[in-house]
Amino acid sequence: MDPISGLMNGFAIALQPQNLMWAFFGTFMGTAIGVLPGIGPALTIALLLPVTVYIEPTAAFIMFAGIFYGAMYGGSTTSILLNTPGESGSMMTALEGNKMAQQGRGAAALCTAAIGSFVAGTIGTLGITFLAPPIAELAFIFRPQDYFALMLLAFLSVSVVMGSSKVRGFIALFIGLSLGVIGIDKQTGMQRLTFGVPDLMDGVEMTVVLVSLFAIGETLYVASRYGQTKPMLNPLSGGMWMTKEDWKRSWKPWLRGTLLGFPIGALPAGGAEIPTFLSYTLERKLTKHPEEFGHGAIEGVAGPEAANNAAAAGVLVPLLTLGLPTSATAAILLAAFQNYGLQPGPLLFINSGDLVWALIASLYVGNVMLLILNLPLAGLWVRLLFIPRPYLYAGILIFSLVGIWGVSNSWVDLAMMFSVGLLGYVMRVYDFPIAPVLIGLILGPMAELQLRRALAMGQGDPLILVSTPMSAVLVGIAFLIVLVPAALHWRRTRKISV
Amino acid sequence: MTERPYWIAVGIVGWGAIVLYKSAELPQFDQHAHIGPGFMSTAVGVGLVVLGLMLALQIRRGVSFEEQGAEDISDTHSVSYKALGLTALACALPMLTMPKLGFVITCTGCFVLIAAAFKSNRWALNAVLGFGFSLLCWWLFSKLGVQLGGLLPVWGK
Repeated sequence: MDPISGLMNGFAIALQPQNLMWAFFGTFMGTAIGVLPGIGPALTIALLLPVTVYIEPTAAFIMFAGIFYGAMYGGSTTSILLNTPGESGSMMTALEGNKMAQQGRGAAALCTAAIGSFVAGTIGTLGITFLAPPIAELAFIFRPQDYFALMLLAFLSVSVVMGSSKVRGFIALFIGLSLGVIGIDKQTGMQRLTFGVPDLMDGVEMTVVLVSLFAIGETLYVASRYGQTKPMLNPLSGGMWMTKEDWKRSWKPWLRGTLLGFPIGALPAGGAEIPTFLSYTLERKLTKHPEEFGHGAIEGVAGPEAANNAAAAGVLVPLLTLGLPTSATAAILLAAFQNYGLQPGPLLFINSGDLVWALIASLYVGNVMLLILNLPLAGLWVRLLFIPRPYLYAGILIFSLVGIWGVSNSWVDLAMMFSVGLLGYVMRVYDFPIAPVLIGLILGPMAELQLRRALAMGQGDPLILVSTPMSAVLVGIAFLIVLVPAALHWRRTRKISV
Repeated sequence: MTERPYWIAVGIVGWGAIVLYKSAELPQFDQHAHIGPGFMSTAVGVGLVVLGLMLALQIRRGVSFEEQGAEDISDTHSVSYKALGLTALACALPMLTMPKLGFVITCTGCFVLIAAAFKSNRWALNAVLGFGFSLLCWWLFSKLGVQLGGLLPVWGK
């Protein structure tokens, strides 16, 4: 199916009333969780997984897409009005956006952020529409060694890029890998690391690990260091719309932010932080009003916000085409696909074309909904931040228990919730990145399967792992990602000591 | 943070050793796929032990550990062990009570403990709110098909 007819077919499904309702529910919830602390899109989708098993897959993914995009919008609102980024991609927005709000230009900042997010989200979705099918076709020629190399690249890049220390990044990855090997080995039927516990035979439940690491770890961390401060809300004034001058200063940063965000978001471990930071730096260099930077420059809001949303769209390209998650949220979306017995990758476009195209079409629909929800209602959304923290975090724990106890009514899952929650707490205190744990847990078993397939094809010869041009290049890049920064560091320290 | 948390390195090496020990019971190679069920877990175990040792070396060299940022935390990052203990108790409570007392009572207890950890000492009000919220969640999610068990399993309900 070519992209245009696929997309038209997708719109026919996404615009059905019940799917529009799921899209609205997703965007509404996404905006809310983007505003609220302690809860993000990855955790929300994980908590909803046990519930959505009873919903048709297309409807569930339309809702997830709304949550995914909505969280980006919600994050910018709190960054601008309260100087509290709801998620990491909105940190750069807070720098200039909050200054604008303090000067009474909060409405213009919110407007450029929302329209920038809409422009970037729409261009990013266009990118998915036209890039995903050819990449998925390309994946048909992928052999087991290519997939293994791709996963190796994801492992190494995620561990090196995320967090402040490579050793801690790799430890997080290996903890995830060690959790991933628990259970019955699917090829031989032998039990691995189950310690004789029957509940562990099916492996460690992904939802349990995710919810425990994010929700329980965060609750323990925030409760122990809780500081009661009332949010200082900057009043919305200065009119709802941007001035002609604001438009003139915003449209180029929107486009530049999109061009930076989309490709970086599609890279393993690219994330939203790097493109938003690059966009801010670029806008600061190109602006005709350098004196305004640091004091409320509209370009500093428009560019990073566009980059943030374009990166979110970029994340979906490797996920849908290659089954490769490049962020924590993408890892959960992959788990959601697996929950429905679907495997993202080239076959998804053939076997579940309706679902994929409806999902892509719902991204366009969701973007329009988000613009409508966010522009006039920004002042209302921030009121969510006034929910008393004792009740917010108690509610998060109860929702976590719905997700964990609802999976299989297993006492082992509750014990795992407690121990993995403590692990999440320690990781926050000692600055270990959390995303590599999830990537290791989800991709580890897949990488092992591809490694076994490749070695079986090569009669046990390890050189099979670099036998195709694609696998050789990917393995080469993977090792360069580790070796180049290490070599540069060694050179720097040597120079200093000389 | 200036302390030297060797215990983290010990924990990682220890977990790696357990993974290695359990993997040693499994075949490392097989005829068909050339690597057996124990190969991957052995590799992971070796990795954990090596990384744990590398972390210990870094700690010895005095590497610093900065706490991660989060919303709602005090600027000084000062730790309240009472709040930490109450939250840990709330997270451990389901292990003790969920199978016997069921979802609603367990979650009510968790709600009260978490609220207390966040410095809300209106115990009676929190218990009522927690019970109401837990009951609502139990009813709503049970309607949606999520199996959360009976209202009070110990009485067979």
